[in-house]
Amino acid sequence: MEYIVNLQQSILKHSNKHAFYIGNIFYTYKDFAVEISKIRFHIANYIDPSEQLIGLVTNDDLQTYASIIALWLEGRAYVPVNPSTPVERNIQIFKATETNTVIDSSQNSIYSDYNVVASKSLKFTELNLECKQVNPEDIAYILFTSGTTGQPKGVPITFNNVNSLVDAIDAEPDFNLLASDRCLQMFELTFDFSVVTYLFPLLAGACIYTIPKNAIKYFYIFKLIQEQKLSVLTMVPSILNYLRPYFAEINSPHVRYCSFGGGALHNNIAEEWSNCLPNCKIFNYYGPTEFTVYSGFYPYNKHTHTKALNGIIAIGTPQKNTKYLVVDENNKEVPLNTVGELCLSGPQITPGYWKNPERNALSFFNIKENGKTERYYKTGDLCLKDEDGDFLYAGRADFQVKIRGYRVELAEIEYHAKAISKKKSNIVAIDITNDLGNAELGLAFEDAPFETDYIFDYLKGKMPDYMIPRHIRFIKEFPHSLNGKIDRKALRTFFLKN
Amino acid sequence: MNEETIKTKVRAAFVKVLEHEDFVLNNDTSANDVKGWESITHMMIINEIEQEFNIKFKLMDLMNMNNIGDLLQAIKTTMN
Repeated sequence: MEYIVNLQQSILKHSNKHAFYIGNIFYTYKDFAVEISKIRFHIANYIDPSEQLIGLVTNDDLQTYASIIALWLEGRAYVPVNPSTPVERNIQIFKATETNTVIDSSQNSIYSDYNVVASKSLKFTELNLECKQVNPEDIAYILFTSGTTGQPKGVPITFNNVNSLVDAIDAEPDFNLLASDRCLQMFELTFDFSVVTYLFPLLAGACIYTIPKNAIKYFYIFKLIQEQKLSVLTMVPSILNYLRPYFAEINSPHVRYCSFGGGALHNNIAEEWSNCLPNCKIFNYYGPTEFTVYSGFYPYNKHTHTKALNGIIAIGTPQKNTKYLVVDENNKEVPLNTVGELCLSGPQITPGYWKNPERNALSFFNIKENGKTERYYKTGDLCLKDEDGDFLYAGRADFQVKIRGYRVELAEIEYHAKAISKKKSNIVAIDITNDLGNAELGLAFEDAPFETDYIFDYLKGKMPDYMIPRHIRFIKEFPHSLNGKIDRKALRTFFLKN
Repeated sequence: MNEETIKTKVRAAFVKVLEHEDFVLNNDTSANDVKGWESITHMMIINEIEQEFNIKFKLMDLMNMNNIGDLLQAIKTTMN
């Protein structure tokens, strides 16, 4: 597999350079190679070859990153689970993927029912970064996102998918990472955006700067930018709303690239942010987990490239080998400047949701194009294409919302809340915008006020932290629209602070 | 403004953002000690305090703020 061979070569070539800055400590590519070798030796010798999917507890340390590369060199996939997510949900993920082995760098692993590889206490035998013969159709990683029925949805991504992503980004002349770059990696490894923030720097021999799990994320990012003179930033737009009050104090001429993804980028804040980074190219990336992180971008520039719809920066054009299609409810292409659902086709498309034929039948469809059958993924994002060929984002087609870049199905929260609530009142989860302009979750009960602590305790055991509603309202009668549906817009006003 | 008034106002900002009163604020209280005090709510608490006291913290002060003691100190220096 080309990209894995390139990874191996980059790690060897940059042996004396810094690869990571984790918890205020620098690690070289040599250190990294040693950890990779230890873990891959263990996998090759002690884990049955039939075990293709291996669990990985996503701690913030060198061993966790080394585990990913070790698994890839061995042609296997990582199934990441976040240590701060309820263990019940993580075990649900391991059950769904029939995972038996879990790589865990924690001091004491809580996965005692599994074959735990304690990656911090393995012995070093020899340096070995040789890439095994890898089947391109095998899975490289599988991520789970929020699902409507209380079951998280698994999205498998193959080696070929990842290779196609790297190939497409390499083909982009405006984005070239250098070995001298210092790159921000602020994402949890269960979030697919993390793939580009560790993979591209490693391929270039650059240094990756991570965020300690207990840090106040936004200030720590700023500290890294200032003190470590970061040159490449990859962020979700919601970060900007938190840093915005302090933009006047930020001037970082050393930042070369700033890529956004995982949410709508608003033009007013993008302009203010670009004033903080006078020498920086800004990329507004688009792409769902199902299409291997990125599918295309718009090169924002406050003077020359400011195309936007309703204040949201354009998502631009598809990257190499990717095709965009905007369709109506019958999957037929709509005319220019008409809003429809954006669908994606190309080599980065997932083989389909993990063991979920019903969902796959809804989310993927085939079209005959020039005698060839093309498979498309329906993103659920509403877009339009303009006469320049640029695509513009117009909103969501369903009840999925983005919280800190993570996709959340409101129905999953309602499902769990209704399952435990002793009162059989109507419950609606809703996204609201906080004072700083970011989305947060609220939970509305159609009832007189009652004790809800047990409901929240239950939710915290079922879902990751970002899915737990922060605000509660009791409303005697939910507002309804003319056609009898709950009027979410009107409901949202109940959450506005006085 | 005396120490007690500052503390009362700070506590009110926490209650407003976190939507509960189940905590004690001492100088050495940090995010680990208070339910719901994490990266996101921290930013909102800071925002709330800035509005309440009509002050603007320096990013440099915020970068190195680890507990309530640091926060109270930053409020006092910023007000003077």
